[in-house]
Amino acid sequence: MTSFDSRKLSQIHQELRAQLPSEPALRTKALESLLTEKKLLDAEAIDAWIELYRDEIGPKRGVKVVARAWTDPAYKERLLTDATAAIDEFGFAGHATGHLQAVENTTAVHNLVVCTLCSCYPFSLLGMSPTWYKSNEYRARAVRDPRGVLAEFGVALDDAIEVRVWDSTSERRYLVVPQRPEGVDDWDEGALARLVTRNAMIGTERDLSPHRRRA
Amino acid sequence: MDGVHDLGGREGFGPVRDKDDDQPFHSEWETCAFGMTQSSAGGEGWSIDWFRHCRELIPPVDYLTRPYFDQWITTVAAQMIDAGYLTLDEIKAGVSTFTAQPAYPPKTTEASRAFVKNPKSYAIQSDVSPRYAAGDAVRCRLSGHPGHTRMPGYVRGHLGVVHAHHGAHIMPDASVRGEKRGEHLYTLRFSASELWPEAKASRDRVFVDLWESYFDPA
Repeated sequence: MTSFDSRKLSQIHQELRAQLPSEPALRTKALESLLTEKKLLDAEAIDAWIELYRDEIGPKRGVKVVARAWTDPAYKERLLTDATAAIDEFGFAGHATGHLQAVENTTAVHNLVVCTLCSCYPFSLLGMSPTWYKSNEYRARAVRDPRGVLAEFGVALDDAIEVRVWDSTSERRYLVVPQRPEGVDDWDEGALARLVTRNAMIGTERDLSPHRRRA
Repeated sequence: MDGVHDLGGREGFGPVRDKDDDQPFHSEWETCAFGMTQSSAGGEGWSIDWFRHCRELIPPVDYLTRPYFDQWITTVAAQMIDAGYLTLDEIKAGVSTFTAQPAYPPKTTEASRAFVKNPKSYAIQSDVSPRYAAGDAVRCRLSGHPGHTRMPGYVRGHLGVVHAHHGAHIMPDASVRGEKRGEHLYTLRFSASELWPEAKASRDRVFVDLWESYFDPA
């Protein structure tokens, strides 16, 4: 039976720390073989998860959503109103996107997403999160020194632009809708999608103009 | 709990590293650990909240230093030992000594695909009317409590404004004990100048999702 006892779990962790191999690969292998032998794990399912997140699910989904929002005002309205339903028009709703909110960058506002308490991320839309998103540094600093963090990512913000940091503390998840760059008025949705980056959808990139990306 | 996992606003951390690293996984053990954590058998009353709490209970030095996916599988191991599905001796010996009867079987390939395609809702019916509406001024409670909570330490005692109400969602502080009940969930907005002593002149804001019992009328 599950104990739901913090002290017991803490004790178990202390014992694991003292007795399991320190090397992560060895630790993983030991657990994988035992869980499989005990039928607590279906080895084929591991491959299914890896394939899903390698082949089907990734930021390539999010970029399609943003490009659609840039070219179809009615879609953008739906995205900002009910993002879960809007991404499901592409069949992208799923893992960790049951309560998705899109937040829009404007000339006056820049949005930045973080999870200070763990590593919450809209998986079915953006795929696996980057290592830096899960790092202690990003989690500690994004809420307190967002402009410093953004500067490290090469985003220099005018003081007049308000930074809005979204801390993913519930099961709600956030998608930043970046600004459509200038000078691409005649670009179609497919071409625009190639301008959108994963970092822009988290908020650590702002200017997506093709000129800048070549620089 | 006042754990090291509650990182928001902690000082002394350096620059964000690995900013150009685009790879979700960096070695075979990481991909394996990811798949294992997502698909292993489950115990009675397990939830995302119980998993998060069990990760929070990793010894602080390890929480801050061991690789991310290593923390995931170590958490799975701890949960399974707690539930009685395996023992530390079995892991060390690499040999099963008894048959486990998990409350929920491991996910198959089909179940995994179905899980990934399902936008799971955490909204839940509540007979209680919401106490707050958008625009209300509120103050977060000054203290947290032992066990799991989703109120980050940096908002404690601070003034915020209700930005939006989202209906009732499963309450993590109860879900972590296997109790599934709803409580009204809100997004609160905080001025950076309210939260951080060095940000007195800032117009920036921080938005945090918080349950109703985390704060009071201002």
